[in-house]
Amino acid sequence: MKHQPFEDWLLNEKLITSEQKRELTSHLRTCAYCSALAETGMALNAVKAVSPRAGFTDRFQMRLAQRKIADRRRRVWGSILFTFGGLALLAWLMSPYLITFFSSPATWISTLVEWGVYLITTLQAMGQAGFVLLDVIPGFLSPFMWMILLSTMAGISLLWSVSIWRFIRVPQGR
Amino acid sequence: MNDELTWVIQAQQGSDEAFTKLVEEHQTHVYNLCYRMLGEPEAAEDAAQESFLRAYQNLQRYDRNRPFATWLLSIAAHYCIDRLRRRKLSVFSLDEENDEGVTFEIADPASPNPEAESVKREERDRLHILLKDLDATDRAAIVLRYWNDYSEIEIAESLNLTVSAVKSRLHRARRALAGMWQEDKPRTRAERRPHETPAF
Repeated sequence: MKHQPFEDWLLNEKLITSEQKRELTSHLRTCAYCSALAETGMALNAVKAVSPRAGFTDRFQMRLAQRKIADRRRRVWGSILFTFGGLALLAWLMSPYLITFFSSPATWISTLVEWGVYLITTLQAMGQAGFVLLDVIPGFLSPFMWMILLSTMAGISLLWSVSIWRFIRVPQGR
Repeated sequence: MNDELTWVIQAQQGSDEAFTKLVEEHQTHVYNLCYRMLGEPEAAEDAAQESFLRAYQNLQRYDRNRPFATWLLSIAAHYCIDRLRRRKLSVFSLDEENDEGVTFEIADPASPNPEAESVKREERDRLHILLKDLDATDRAAIVLRYWNDYSEIEIAESLNLTVSAVKSRLHRARRALAGMWQEDKPRTRAERRPHETPAF
């Protein structure tokens, strides 16, 4: 059976002329599908909203208070775990050096000095290596290559920023 | 500045009292959407509460140029859609409405035509049952359109869809409902009114 244009009229709920109304009425008498469409349309237009049980706001306030307590507790436990975890990791990494603190003062002073010297020389070496690279590399790379390199780095930075933003963003309504 | 915007601003500044006023103002809309989406009063209550909690947590992200109700119902609709996707709703019974004390429409014998009122109620109940067979997003579109009287543009904003997608979803849902209504009709009549004298 041909449902057009009746289906369109019913779906779009447009105002129709009296002539169209007559055509529609006569079509509805013979077409079960369009008749069902009209009946569901009428039923949908007659729907009623249901209200929640009394005291919804009070229950919400209780739930909000519980959620706040749970969030606070989670944050406290998170901080404790993070701090103690970090300290444990640090202690584990530092354990070979920490042991020297239990030896004679001369040993740990010499270890400390060794460490300081090592740190300073390493930083100096890294700085010198950086200067050498900065002197040498520009000669090897053409301006075009520099452009590509900088664009790639900018792209990676942008990707990184977007990833962080997407990671920390809480989607609306989820 | 209207009351609602004042409450929103106060709530964004940390006033729980102002947010409570917003809850009072919108509880029926949110609960009704959740109820029509999930079908069960308990699940609807839980979803409505959760939607308000999410709104509370994300209040700083709310754009004041947008209607608050649209934003709130968007949160509720997405929450219900997610919930429906996570679990297949097995059965939802209208009888539970009585147990929970939630509005259950009973034909008023004092009304001018109690029989017509009863038929209307029966049709609304049927519609409520048929809704559960619709796709979650289509169902949300139908509920926002007919229960909340939202325009296609508002539905599109609430469900993050284009207006043409909303139109197409509404049409698809209406066709599906009509199909199910047609299939359900003979069975329902035979089951529901066995005592009635045939009209012929």
